[in-house]
Amino acid sequence: MGQRDRISAAAWLVVRDAHIAEDIFQNVALKAMAKEVTFDSDGALMSWAFITARREGIDWLRRQKNAPVNLDETILELLEAEWANESLGQAGSRSQALRDCLSELPAKSRELLKLRYFDGQRCEEVAASLGTKLDAVYKRLSRLHQGLKGCIETKLNQAAS
Amino acid sequence: MALNEEQQAQLLRHLNGELSPTEAADVAQLLKEDAEARDFLRGVAEQAVVVADVERLAQHREPAKVVSPVFNPAKWAVAAAIILVFVGSFLFTILSANKGHTAEVVAIHGPNQHLAADGVTQPELAPGTMLKIGDKLRTLSSRSWVKLKLNGGSYVMVTGRSSLRLIRDETHRAFLLRYGNLWATINTPEGTKPFSVLTETARINTSNAQFDIETKFQEISVVSVDQGSVTTERLSDGSRVEVAEDHQTIISMSQRRSLIAKRQPEPVNQWNCKMLSSPEAVFGKWLAPDENNRVRLNATPLLIGKNKTIYATNFSVRSSGSPPVMIENGSRFRIRLTTQTADPVYVGITTKKHRGGFFGKYTEKLEGDQLGQAGKARTIEIPVSDFVPLDKSLSPTAVGTELTDIWLVAPKESAELEIHKVEFVAREVAQ
Repeated sequence: MGQRDRISAAAWLVVRDAHIAEDIFQNVALKAMAKEVTFDSDGALMSWAFITARREGIDWLRRQKNAPVNLDETILELLEAEWANESLGQAGSRSQALRDCLSELPAKSRELLKLRYFDGQRCEEVAASLGTKLDAVYKRLSRLHQGLKGCIETKLNQAAS
Repeated sequence: MALNEEQQAQLLRHLNGELSPTEAADVAQLLKEDAEARDFLRGVAEQAVVVADVERLAQHREPAKVVSPVFNPAKWAVAAAIILVFVGSFLFTILSANKGHTAEVVAIHGPNQHLAADGVTQPELAPGTMLKIGDKLRTLSSRSWVKLKLNGGSYVMVTGRSSLRLIRDETHRAFLLRYGNLWATINTPEGTKPFSVLTETARINTSNAQFDIETKFQEISVVSVDQGSVTTERLSDGSRVEVAEDHQTIISMSQRRSLIAKRQPEPVNQWNCKMLSSPEAVFGKWLAPDENNRVRLNATPLLIGKNKTIYATNFSVRSSGSPPVMIENGSRFRIRLTTQTADPVYVGITTKKHRGGFFGKYTEKLEGDQLGQAGKARTIEIPVSDFVPLDKSLSPTAVGTELTDIWLVAPKESAELEIHKVEFVAREVAQ
């Protein structure tokens, strides 16, 4: 689960669409099954998976007319390296903690995240859907993301102690 | 250095694509230098995909609501009978409204992939598999199809390279067609919910119809109705049009043209792919012209399963804006191509019934001696009678059906298959 989330997240940073990112993860899984070579370590496998997901994402972007502005490849590489440095076990725990934290969110916050990331609405559309200002959407999203990050850390610390 | 709220919002604005080039450069610099900023961005990305995952699972779960009617049969026999009927129909309505719809896989052909709502990826579907809300299936190759049976005697078929997911909708048996082709024969007997398909550009609703949807580049949906009628809604502005029998509508994100349904034109018996000037080459990679060929569409790798990659191009007849193209006895395909080896090349076609649904897929293998000298362009003519059905259940001939798409596949990369021209030529009539 943790690996899937991280590879999908890396793809999401390229394509900014959770459904496309999921498609890309599926393609990576299919390619991994199809590959005849074996990897020396989990790290090597993850590194291959991140690069493959990024390439798939960039290919997808090239086929789109209104593609999002891409992040610099050097930044994507830095992000992937940091993901790869996390242990697989840690990734699994983080993933579960995030799910637990999401389930504890108030309905309004869940709705905001759903509109933005599941329905794939742009922030302007989210603002229109909720009848609020664009700045307020960014502010709420920032706080939500920061809050979820804090919640995950608290849960991981509790589990460790 | 801890990120402040303004910096976090700026990162989110960047992801939303609304920063000026100068602001975007500042954000890029911040991300290169500040591990905290990257940590925040990774957190946002993880949260985005997990939110989508959790929502998919939430759609997958069926709410359990059971309501028990209370009555006294001895005292209120007549009234109770009425109440029972009322409560029964009420319960039925409640339960059928809350129970997620399912789809049973009844036929498959060619490579496909199943992603269950909980994220488990299965390499292949099998007949008898029940798909539930949140499940997604992908057909991976031009030659693939999967047929699904819905309740109420309805059938849905996805063909070619397509992605379809069952989604929750309180009032419809709903599907999300992310890309590809869908063919449907929909009935809505009493007690069954109507049918709905969401594409990137449109929502299509119907209770009784035989129709198909073709999406192009996830930007345009073409809806053709053969029987009954469907309502299409353009998502970009909410405009709607009723598409009646024998009519067609094209829905794009652009609102420049009003949404209208047009009668499907009378069929013709030939087709000429305009190649570079039109969007009908839906799969393949354009190469720069060389001294011998101005038009070069290179076959693109397509992973279709474990240790299986093919190199494919695909041409959509229906996306070309052509009237329906009838396949007649004596018709033939004329294809100009180049390959670098003597390895075989497969030519395939998809056909539909005239004013009807999906008919079948047919293929013809071109052997090395038919392909001419390696590295030299050659024009090949293939009579339609040479094509054989991909599945035993299909009619042995495609004559009398409509041509919807053509694909060319090389199983080996070394063939470096390039297509320069594709035509479907009418039978020659004796003078």
